[in-house]
Amino acid sequence: MKTQIVLSGVGGQGLISTGEILGLAASLFEEDMYATLTASYGSETRGTFTKTDVIISDQPIGYPNIDTPDVILCLAQVAYDRYVDKFHDDTEVYYDTDMVTPKEGAKGDHIGFPFRTMSIEKVGNIQTANTIALGLIMKRQGLLHKESVMKAFAHRFAGKDKVIAVNEKALDLGLSL
Amino acid sequence: MAKSVKKFIEGNDAVVDGAIAAGARFYAGYPISPSSEIAEGAAKELPRHGGLYIQMEDEISSMAALLGASLAGKKSFTATSGPGFSLMQENLGLGIMSEIPCVIFDVQRSGPSTGAATKPAQADIMQARYGVHGDHSIIAISPSSVQDCYDLTITAFNLAEKYRTPVLFMADEVIGHLRETVTEVEPTPDQIFNRVQPAPGTTQAEFRPYNYSTNMPAPMPPVGNPTLLMRTTGSTHDEKGEFGPGPDNINRVTHYLTDKIEKNVDDITITRRYQLEDAEVAFITFGCSVRSTITAVDMLRAKGVKAGMLQVVTVWPLPEKEIREVLRQVKTVVVPEMNLGQLAGEVRKFNDYGCKVLQANRTDGVLITPQQIISALEEE
Amino acid sequence: MASYKDYMLFDKLPHTWCAGCGDGIVLQSIAAVFAEMGLDKHDIALVSGIGCFGRVDDYLDINCMHVTHGRALPAATGIALANPNLNVIVTMGDGDSVTIGGNHLIHCARRNINLTAIVANNYNYGQTGGQYSGTTPTGSITTTSPYGHIEKNFDICKLVEAAGATYVARATVYNPVQMRKLIRGGIEHKGFAIIECMVPCPTHYGRYNKQGEAANMMKLMNEQSVPAEKAKNMSPEELEGKIITGLIVKKERDDYYTEYKRIIDAQNIDK
Repeated sequence: MKTQIVLSGVGGQGLISTGEILGLAASLFEEDMYATLTASYGSETRGTFTKTDVIISDQPIGYPNIDTPDVILCLAQVAYDRYVDKFHDDTEVYYDTDMVTPKEGAKGDHIGFPFRTMSIEKVGNIQTANTIALGLIMKRQGLLHKESVMKAFAHRFAGKDKVIAVNEKALDLGLSL
Repeated sequence: MAKSVKKFIEGNDAVVDGAIAAGARFYAGYPISPSSEIAEGAAKELPRHGGLYIQMEDEISSMAALLGASLAGKKSFTATSGPGFSLMQENLGLGIMSEIPCVIFDVQRSGPSTGAATKPAQADIMQARYGVHGDHSIIAISPSSVQDCYDLTITAFNLAEKYRTPVLFMADEVIGHLRETVTEVEPTPDQIFNRVQPAPGTTQAEFRPYNYSTNMPAPMPPVGNPTLLMRTTGSTHDEKGEFGPGPDNINRVTHYLTDKIEKNVDDITITRRYQLEDAEVAFITFGCSVRSTITAVDMLRAKGVKAGMLQVVTVWPLPEKEIREVLRQVKTVVVPEMNLGQLAGEVRKFNDYGCKVLQANRTDGVLITPQQIISALEEE
Repeated sequence: MASYKDYMLFDKLPHTWCAGCGDGIVLQSIAAVFAEMGLDKHDIALVSGIGCFGRVDDYLDINCMHVTHGRALPAATGIALANPNLNVIVTMGDGDSVTIGGNHLIHCARRNINLTAIVANNYNYGQTGGQYSGTTPTGSITTTSPYGHIEKNFDICKLVEAAGATYVARATVYNPVQMRKLIRGGIEHKGFAIIECMVPCPTHYGRYNKQGEAANMMKLMNEQSVPAEKAKNMSPEELEGKIITGLIVKKERDDYYTEYKRIIDAQNIDK
């Protein structure tokens, strides 16, 4: 079983970090899972298009880039527009309804929530849209256990208890949608 | 039970862990994309292990400092990319001639010159082999996974120490920045090769810092040891390390520097075979292109095509025997690589079997895709 | 009492240098200082570059690393940091030190690496046939400035002083006693020390610039010499064409390794 996940948006939305959480959870805290992560690197970091490819598989992974995603998260219009023509019928397209207007007739199963607004209003922190979406993806895909994802947060943000707590809140919100 | 840690990190970080596990305690370098994480990791980790990091004024001085530190007994390494690798060639030659071990990580990017600084390529392979002027041979290893970045870094230091020579670690941007699962097993003492020391009691009169009578290097005591004086030089020298520009000596040294690597090719080279047993078509490749090729082989097998792959982990010296075996076995070989055919040309040199050798090249700074590799085969 | 001879390889003589060359005087001075200080040979590491003076390691019976042109200082940096207990000596000419290796010189001085650089300045590239270098005086004739040298030359001592060197001295081979004293001071100094040694090149520089035989050149050097103390009270015009000799800079500043250790130890990082 292999899941190809593209996390796309603009710099500063924490998408590489979400990819790391996915990779860490799968490879360190799940049984017999492999993960790869490749991120687009530019000289700029904030405000420009960014994407992270994460592959999670029960077999060793060869080619680590994703041409046709099984799952894609789009947190910005620029990201959606870049990928829309690559969606296939079964692609699950998660998008932020405040940030992205889907293309008419686009392929894929579109799942929209105002992740950023939810992050501000329900989690009380502007920076957890990525984690809410992660929870939702996990739930719909049946991917990873919450326990291993929280272990990944604890590993990635060791010593930063507040960050871990706010992400757990966001993750729970996503898992409950 | 050896200590083992599982991590999810990028290739460049695994290199630092591997270097420290191998016993490296000195880093001199000049930051350059896409290798800078190795410098940053070394700056952070070396002091934790009693080692030392220094950022030099350029890659020329970085290489020189590596050689000085290694001569004083510290296993040393540096990391760079194309433009820096070009500057290192001068003192890489000094390391080869003086026979001073060290490891150079070239995280290859698109070139020449500044090129596309953050984009991957595998186009420094010929520079690795022939960038240093004068006849010589070189050891170069190319990783295809983050696991390799850890494991083969230890191998690289071991080969450097064993053969008393700089070893090149030819990574690329894809593998350097790829994050994946790695299990870092701490090597046991018997898995670490440290440079041979003179037999206890060796006197200065008996001691020779160089030995040209066999294909293995002379023992190498550190400068500063209390009993033996050490003498190294980039000038052609005799076994005492003294200037020796006579024709016989020049000839002897030239042959020795090549033979100590080429005549030990079976000990040095590493290859990996994937689905080759019954293969009718084969890919021969290295580094990041291996990742795409494995997927291509799987896709072809799913279509009923008997495809297989030979990975040359050791790019230099080339595993000639293993490459010839493949050329003899199959009718068509495709060489996928992110350059215009540097490895393909080498494979053709061994093709005495009428095998069709095709190329799958990509030079746009994007990782070669499995589809492209398959197309190269289908379009023949 | 040790003799300079204990540090030399006499079977390598006669040396390669021309009759009248000043390099031999500097070589003897270095060996004499080792003897004077009673240094254990095993505790000395000499790194040499390329050029006439780069051959100095051929005649010394100590640890020697002979490297590429201009790269002696960075190679010595590696040795000095890998084994801080060594007396690291770097021998260079004006080509090695301030021309091809000029960038390394200023950075090594800035970092205050604990080593002693001994520069034999003969105003030109002797080994390759007398071409101009970074110290060739303006207007001089060399094989590559046959109509007179255009460029302004470096003052090595001023250059390294500006770069932060903590020990800077100059001597001419006319005065080997002073040279030995200054070399010893440099070895005893903890940090980056440099001693510029003015040496005649009668074969090339002296001949093209009509300075006569070696003895004449040495006499000329002596006439041009002004003690550092005296030079302090002289105007730039008065110092034109002069060679300031003696100890020029001596400052206390922790060397790179000491500083590195202090910073790392203060961090108390888990090992």
